[in-house]
Amino acid sequence: MTQDDKKSYSANIQMVVSAAREIKDNDTVYVGVGLPMQAALLAKNSHAPNCVIVIENGIVRSNLFPIPAATDTLGSQAFADQLSGLFHVMSLGQAGHLNTGFLGAGQIDRFGNLNDTCVGDYRNPIHRWPGSGGGNDVMSWCSRTIVILEQDKRRFLEKVDFITCPGYLDGKPGRREEIGLRPNTGPAAVITNLGVYGFEDREMVLKSVHTDIGVTLEKIKEETSWDLKISPDLKDTEPPNGEELQIYHEKIEWVMAARARMRGQMPPPGPQQGKA
Amino acid sequence: MPMKEAVSKYVKSGDLLFISGAQHGAPAAAVAEIIRQKIDHLGVITCLTNTNSLIGEGLVDRLITGYNMFNEKRSYALQKARENNKFPVVEESSHYGISLMLYAGYMGIPFMPTRSLVGADMAVYNSDNIKSIECPFTHTQIGLVRAVVPDIGIIHVQRADADGNAQKWGTLGIDLEGINASRKIIVTTEEIVDSEVIRRDPNRTIVPGFRVSAVVEQPFGAYPSHLAGCYGDGPMVFGTMMGGKEAYEANLQETVYGVKDWNEYLENLKKQHGADFFDKLRLKNPAMSEPVTSGYELIGGNE
Repeated sequence: MTQDDKKSYSANIQMVVSAAREIKDNDTVYVGVGLPMQAALLAKNSHAPNCVIVIENGIVRSNLFPIPAATDTLGSQAFADQLSGLFHVMSLGQAGHLNTGFLGAGQIDRFGNLNDTCVGDYRNPIHRWPGSGGGNDVMSWCSRTIVILEQDKRRFLEKVDFITCPGYLDGKPGRREEIGLRPNTGPAAVITNLGVYGFEDREMVLKSVHTDIGVTLEKIKEETSWDLKISPDLKDTEPPNGEELQIYHEKIEWVMAARARMRGQMPPPGPQQGKA
Repeated sequence: MPMKEAVSKYVKSGDLLFISGAQHGAPAAAVAEIIRQKIDHLGVITCLTNTNSLIGEGLVDRLITGYNMFNEKRSYALQKARENNKFPVVEESSHYGISLMLYAGYMGIPFMPTRSLVGADMAVYNSDNIKSIECPFTHTQIGLVRAVVPDIGIIHVQRADADGNAQKWGTLGIDLEGINASRKIIVTTEEIVDSEVIRRDPNRTIVPGFRVSAVVEQPFGAYPSHLAGCYGDGPMVFGTMMGGKEAYEANLQETVYGVKDWNEYLENLKKQHGADFFDKLRLKNPAMSEPVTSGYELIGGNE
């Protein structure tokens, strides 16, 4: 690969592409706005045309739509399969009908617990994020939840400051079921600007490193606060292919830029779990 | 009923207020009137609705929420509330948790079981409202959220009749459970239509008129939010949430203190941005649904 090729995509695009690859055709996916939405639409425009996208305000749709700028927009409502409310779509999830959830996060720990609430003590926080939104719910009952976040040492912690969305809690077997979470659920993958992670025996395991954009295993270890488990089968992350890049540029980047130009402003900061 | 009268008659200091419209058609005009009348010591339960001005003006004692802009460094509204010692007590849950609290209220039962929230620290810090018990049937653990019955609920809809039979479509967020859980209800509507219009499509009625205390006709009552079938987002839809002191105070002056009512604010927007400002927000090339056969002519007449 030449230098020029390397410049054609950013860590951000790798995150979206890696996340999109986690969506399989015919999945029913609960999607939050931001990077999760970009990933879901990339998947739906490429290898997963039959995935169903569910948005928390009450939107269920099996057809394509323009990348929305916020959780609820007229564009994501228009020509949906069903418009209802939050109770309905979340009850679908609680009953086990949404197999994949997509979340952002402020902090994550080795057992996949997410913090979207605060840095430091809850009663006297150093920093406040907006809180759960639907994040806790999705993590409580989706068969597999995929988490997308920027990785650094302050976000990848041995133990999060506050559990907003339960992962595998203290990592002991059966803990989720014991406290009443839906059986056979929990975080399945974590995608960052540095690598892709899965879970083995409820603990986060590094699966691949974004070496193509210059990330090293050393860098990943540096930006992780615990003694990270590395898969014996560690790979280089497969870079975005031509089709993925084209779809990203045409269906996501271009639409967002055009919208920002039309409005004469940047897209509004829609709720996005855990984004500071 | 005029907005001023509806709000002064039915929203009282100390009320627990439900605000509808989870990013879709929030009752902005009604909220502005509450601020104008400085109705204080409110509890507020809502989902994804901008409560910043209510909090900044020191009117909120208690906030029941699943998601709120809490970054005080970036929100003058929160700084102002903190400065004036009016920062609300926050009871945090999740979005489904909020929905279920209202659903329990709507159903007239004291709590709702759920698989959400059991693994979260919200249950630790909001233990008055979120608990966990052994299910008497399955003998496994299950979470519970406490019912919420708001004293007053406000919803903005596309159309309602004079009796308050209110029809909203598009995404409903937590509108159905929130408004039906509320003791008193104010409906604000883009237009008041003949009851005949409602009765030809009664499935669309979100709350029946007999539950409604006041109906207010208020065009663009959800501006700058979008409203399905009516209008798109205004340019400042999220602008005032994270602004500094000047943006915050200017917005309040423009929408609340510097005008006698919402209509004057709308007129001022036209003066600033052109007479066609609101026409431009109306949907281009609207797509009509197929008519649905619902009622039929009864023997002896429909009356």
